[in-house]
Amino acid sequence: MPDEKKTKKEEIPRSVDPASLEVLAECTDLQPIGTSWDRLKKQHPQCGFGLKGLCCRHCSMGPCRVDASKEKLKYGVCGVDSDTVAARHFVRMIAAGAAAHSDHGRGVAETFLAAAKGEAKDYKIKDQQKLYGLAMDFGVEIGDRAVEDIAIEVGEKSLGIFGEQHGPIPFLKRAPLKRQALWKEHNMEPRGVDREIVECMHRTHMGVDQDPENLMMQGNRAALADGWGGSMLATELQDIMFGTPQPILGECNLGVLKDDEVNVVIHGHEPTLSEMVMVVCQSPEMIAKAKAVGAKGINLGGLCCSANEILMRHGVANIGNFLQQELALATGAVDVMTVDVQCIMSSLAQIASCFHTKFITTNYRAKIKGAQHIQFEEHDAENIARQIVQMGIDNYKNRGVTKIPKAKCNMIAGFSHETINYLLGGVYRSSYKPLNENIINGRIRGIAGVVGCNNPKVTHDKDHIALVKELIANNVIVLQTGCSALACAKEGLMLPEAASQFAGPGLAEVCETVGIPPVLHMGSCVDNSRILMAASAVVKEGGLGDDICDLPAVGAAPEWMSEKAISIGQYFVASGVYTLLGTTFPTLGAEGFTDFLFNKHEKLTGGMWGFEPDPMVMARKMIEAMDGKRRALGLDKGKERVLFDMAMRRELDAG
Amino acid sequence: MAEEKKIKRKKFDGEEVEIVGETYEEGVPDKGDNWRSKMENREQMLRYLKAGERYWFSDDWYGSERRKTPA
Repeated sequence: MPDEKKTKKEEIPRSVDPASLEVLAECTDLQPIGTSWDRLKKQHPQCGFGLKGLCCRHCSMGPCRVDASKEKLKYGVCGVDSDTVAARHFVRMIAAGAAAHSDHGRGVAETFLAAAKGEAKDYKIKDQQKLYGLAMDFGVEIGDRAVEDIAIEVGEKSLGIFGEQHGPIPFLKRAPLKRQALWKEHNMEPRGVDREIVECMHRTHMGVDQDPENLMMQGNRAALADGWGGSMLATELQDIMFGTPQPILGECNLGVLKDDEVNVVIHGHEPTLSEMVMVVCQSPEMIAKAKAVGAKGINLGGLCCSANEILMRHGVANIGNFLQQELALATGAVDVMTVDVQCIMSSLAQIASCFHTKFITTNYRAKIKGAQHIQFEEHDAENIARQIVQMGIDNYKNRGVTKIPKAKCNMIAGFSHETINYLLGGVYRSSYKPLNENIINGRIRGIAGVVGCNNPKVTHDKDHIALVKELIANNVIVLQTGCSALACAKEGLMLPEAASQFAGPGLAEVCETVGIPPVLHMGSCVDNSRILMAASAVVKEGGLGDDICDLPAVGAAPEWMSEKAISIGQYFVASGVYTLLGTTFPTLGAEGFTDFLFNKHEKLTGGMWGFEPDPMVMARKMIEAMDGKRRALGLDKGKERVLFDMAMRRELDAG
Repeated sequence: MAEEKKIKRKKFDGEEVEIVGETYEEGVPDKGDNWRSKMENREQMLRYLKAGERYWFSDDWYGSERRKTPA
């Protein structure tokens, strides 16, 4: 097992991104709060028990530090051992991550239903075709019914899925048949995510489930209820309301901020507000107002997954990923920043106060001390968005000296699983067949999903980029979401020309033929469900086994930090995918439980976890795993290609 | 249809030949390719779902799932 201590002690560079380094060198005046890197340094040494998953705070007899290697600390006050402590903690991480995605999904479902009923007039059904697909999934009659009627029924059924008490959630039927049978056999089919999360919290309460493997059965159910439930619903309904992503050109990195325009920044995860802000920023009325205060226009930019949402649908510029949120403010160029939910640093209000920036929270679930709160209501979306943009315009005159780095990069986003299917064959022959054939013939060695966050414990963006470059150099096509996608976009890996620059010859040939980059941007972190769909399509197309666990496909989150990453990883593991984390792994102090996650779990679902802090070693492990799957499928044996001449053809037995 | 652009390339033996050149438009696109709009009405959309996205919406099993013997 790799030793994570090695990565902690040394002073490491803060980022590999030149724009971030430029701002970091300048922003020495953010005291007392500083940046996440400064605060991490002050937090050292961090709690060793907490790092290894060995601290239990579930009752007031504790907190207990439990460590099997120390006689005195073998058991907590209630008698709990290290494996159970770590398992309970891990399951609670899954529950929190699944809750985050699924509450996001529920918010989208509520807006969707309001839009369908005509109660949220600023939202519309943009992708009718996807609505019909969802109607077919839910058994909603289509016929000649009005689109609104179908949407209302789909919306109501969607909301009902979150609280489904008994039956398995409907999207499980999208998985390969063999996978569905496996989930049924192991009693792993999830009910609604609300119920699964409540059960996670119950089981991890003091004195309930104290068998680590049994706890993980519930962890698997909750994670599956996220990936094939809450997250998938969020993605589907967002696509119906805002459009299914299609390839679109965008720009990314801090250099997209503009000195001579009003900079409006959206940050968080839900696209409901950011879509409206985009509409308002493009309105001639607001642009005229911006010009009236001396700006050349309004420049909308995004951070984290709100940014991914409007980038992949509209090509709106992307300022950066998780660790760049403070740096965006530190440029002094942000006139207004609005945030909704998830991955928003507590420091932002204080950092904004060092500059002229108006910092606004918009979701009642996520208020921050020191921020101005404007509650977002879908029934009055455009007016609220207009109010926010107006604040930015009014604030432009208060801007002081700005330090905007020049670095920015073009990228192509918008590779939904439907679009990949279309790109591989067009309207009349859309298919995953060309992908499968090129995996079978070896031009493409395998598929990697590289996702997840940033973490100041490791050099910002370095591990994402190093891992992905190594994978594509070895002919592995990479699917990305979230902050990981933005790291690689900044490196130029999401441009078609990256194929000839960075990819191995087989992958480059395929990418150049289709006209796609070797690294595909599939959306925000809630859109990891698109990767599940793509994997299912590859299985169903045929030739690469009968289940997701048969595919030469591996997942990774090299710079993860949030509980959502654990939930995502677990739903991939439960769906049959070997999934590796970098940076750290939250159970390393519990040997038995970690062995279950890293080895025995494969016998259960065909997928397991792994941990590797070195991105190059991680790439090697991923490629070895893919090669193992290729061997199991019989794809490792090269077949001699013989061009038959006429004489040889005549000798063929027609019978 | 625009006239085919021809470009000269050397073969492996060094002989120069004329071949069809790139067919894409030069420059950077200012908007995405809205392929979803090619399906204009409900009938076309449903037909595409059942054929193009047959993995989930076809009436028949598809690919590996239609196979009699497991891989």
